[in-house]
Amino acid sequence: MTTEQKQNDTGDQQLVRAALLGETSAFGAIVEKYWNMVAALALSKVSDSTEAEDIAQESFLKAYSQLSSLKDPSRLAGWLSRITIQQCSNSLRKTLRSKKALGCRITPVKELDYLPAMSANPGLTKNQVHFVRQTVKKLPEKFRTLIILRFVAGFSTVKIAEQLGKRPGTVRVRLHRAYKLLRKDLAPLLEEVGS
Amino acid sequence: MKTCEKYKNLIEKYIEGTISNQHLAELKTHTEACKSCHDEFERCVLVQDFVKEALSSQTSAEQAEASIVARLSEEPKIRPAPIRFDTILYSGRRAAIAASILLIVGLSLGFALGMTAKSARTQLTAQVPISVGKIEGTVLVRHEGSDFWQALETGSNVHLGDTFHSAAKSVCRLEFEDESTIELNQNSMLVLKSFNGQTQFFLEHGECTAALESPHGPFFIDTPHGRVEALGTEFTVTVIDK
Repeated sequence: MTTEQKQNDTGDQQLVRAALLGETSAFGAIVEKYWNMVAALALSKVSDSTEAEDIAQESFLKAYSQLSSLKDPSRLAGWLSRITIQQCSNSLRKTLRSKKALGCRITPVKELDYLPAMSANPGLTKNQVHFVRQTVKKLPEKFRTLIILRFVAGFSTVKIAEQLGKRPGTVRVRLHRAYKLLRKDLAPLLEEVGS
Repeated sequence: MKTCEKYKNLIEKYIEGTISNQHLAELKTHTEACKSCHDEFERCVLVQDFVKEALSSQTSAEQAEASIVARLSEEPKIRPAPIRFDTILYSGRRAAIAASILLIVGLSLGFALGMTAKSARTQLTAQVPISVGKIEGTVLVRHEGSDFWQALETGSNVHLGDTFHSAAKSVCRLEFEDESTIELNQNSMLVLKSFNGQTQFFLEHGECTAALESPHGPFFIDTPHGRVEALGTEFTVTVIDK
């Protein structure tokens, strides 16, 4: 473990301890630190940006109310990612149920996929953002989480393994498999941008 | 070529986020002279940038922080329950009192139910941390103690003693908390016999495929002909009626 990682983990532990003592500002710091990761995880599961941000907020509120159940505060990021994935599944299930209850036709995934995609970054066009999101969304869950923890949260495979309680070798192999899939599916975009 | 092999390894380390600053500088210098490595490294940087950009939130981290902290202040009901060492004894005593109350209530209820509703045997057994993932076609579930089959739905809860039956051209996937999965193939019947510590399924007939996350605890699949214990991470069990 590098010095930076150690400091980071100690920081998380201190923030969790302070939040448990009722310091909302400490929890605010946790939100600020992990917002991008949590929002990206939500965005990779639901197509609508507003819904994804709602899920991200709800995930943080749930995490706050369940903070005392976090056994190892140094694994805060992994714990938050699990809560977010669970919140996404709950939200998708709820939407499906309410649509069924209202007698609505369930919108096929393909139609949902064509909802407008918005990004905070103007580097990619709307269509390109949509294309990348759909490509990430198509990845199996275990690959998708790794891609986000690595490329969005910026964790190394070693840190991801610690956070998720997995072997570093497993994480490394999966990340490379995920990357290969991404590179293959994003090839048209890579060519477009490269040309 | 041998040199390029070295830089290919450095690109892999870059993807993994484990490359040192010195090696990164070395790699960048090499890519200026080698087209093949340059293209590979550029693709790698672009893929990372694309993912980061496409999944970036419209709300900044600072805005999100302000909004969530405001919600926490507005909704005082949302509070973490801190566990402090000085309150462990007190909590333990409280837990003991609560357990006693529950025991008394449970005994009374058990007695009352035993007296009045002997026929009501379709109470669900303990729920287990398994959820129903992908379903294709028709898959039925029967809870323990019940004679009725009902259609299984994605996201349904799973209980101990549940029996799953997949029809022709139908499959379903059961997902564990640790991302392990067990997939029931067509024309199969699977019973969840026990869970805690020793996850145990009984494959009455048909075929199922288990993909377990390692490390995993003891995991067994019983069949009418013998028991299969998971040693690796992925395996398929088939029961043929012969």
